[in-house]
Amino acid sequence: MEGSNLLANKAVVVTGGSRGIGRSIVLTLAAQGANVTFLYCSNGAAANETLAAAAGLGGIVKAKQVDIRDAQSCETAIEAIAEDTGSIDILVNSAGIIRDNILGLLTNEDVQEVLATNVLGVFNILRPVIPYMISRRKGKIINISSVAGEKGGRGQTNYAASKGAINALTKALAVELAPRNILVNCVAPGVIETEMTEAIRQQAGDVVKSRILLGRFGQPEDVAKVVLFFASSLSDYVTGQVLHVDGGFKMS
Amino acid sequence: MTQSDFTAEEFAAVFPKLAETMAEALGCDEEDITLTASLIDDLDAESIDFLDIVFRLEKTFKVKIPRGKIMEDSRGALSESEFESNGVVTSAGLIQLKSFLSEVPEERFKSPLNVSDIPRLFTPETFLKLVIKAQREQAGAAQ
Repeated sequence: MEGSNLLANKAVVVTGGSRGIGRSIVLTLAAQGANVTFLYCSNGAAANETLAAAAGLGGIVKAKQVDIRDAQSCETAIEAIAEDTGSIDILVNSAGIIRDNILGLLTNEDVQEVLATNVLGVFNILRPVIPYMISRRKGKIINISSVAGEKGGRGQTNYAASKGAINALTKALAVELAPRNILVNCVAPGVIETEMTEAIRQQAGDVVKSRILLGRFGQPEDVAKVVLFFASSLSDYVTGQVLHVDGGFKMS
Repeated sequence: MTQSDFTAEEFAAVFPKLAETMAEALGCDEEDITLTASLIDDLDAESIDFLDIVFRLEKTFKVKIPRGKIMEDSRGALSESEFESNGVVTSAGLIQLKSFLSEVPEERFKSPLNVSDIPRLFTPETFLKLVIKAQREQAGAAQ
């Protein structure tokens, strides 16, 4: 993909772009010429690292602090971004959190926090973005869910529920928006080496790895490259799909 | 709101731009945007077009029209249970709806009327009133 310019001048919004998979998505899309604005919740230092890493990649990268749990903030932020870039061509919903625990020890807050960010946060961003795409009769929406949305995992009932919801939302929204040429797809990562999965990898790394057909944890770039496929014209006849990028973990 | 609720000046200021905006959203000719045309039955609008129309009107007229506002306004002062029962508009609801959509010819109101069929009644005038109301509220708030 190096040397190609698959997203020249495309206006992209990525949520959760300061760290982990989101950061890799920001950098990968920017390297293809995109004009990327990423949203982050609170970690300004991490956001600055992403901005620094983006220097010289070719596209434009900007950061915006938004708590996606707040619908009004999302609307204000999206309007400002659209004003700045002139449109929104591509949206990547990558923001997500985990609060793992077995059901008996999960608090209501653990459940609500995960659903507020991972599910309601997606709705809060989708609502203000979609009208821009409908007006222009084109757009690409890529949701990031998780292998946990389909494959049961101990201590992840809240997270699994949130990611299963995103898989289902992807399909329903694809149906709604297809008449306006807006394509909606989902990437479901397996165990990717990020801060978020550090605890899991430390506790049960060897067992988990032994169940990954490719025998290794994924890298954020493994996911970002598939997001690029869905964001670019390479996937113009694909909608409503959930693609697992998990080294075969779901199959084992 | 009844027809007399907007002035000739308001109509003249809003309608031409409204017609242009709606024609763009629906991909039809501006002349097709008459006050009484049914958006769905006459102008082939789909439900997703309503979102587009409201979005474009907000940009064109620089007003805020909250999502769901039109359905909320349809109910008037009635509660949800007074307005509908099992997805069907009640008789009290029908009276309220006819008053809200005073521009819609009587024969278009079917009885029983499903809530999901209310958008079939919407006409360009429905949106004209929505814009004028939003403009007035905005002007009132600014004072």
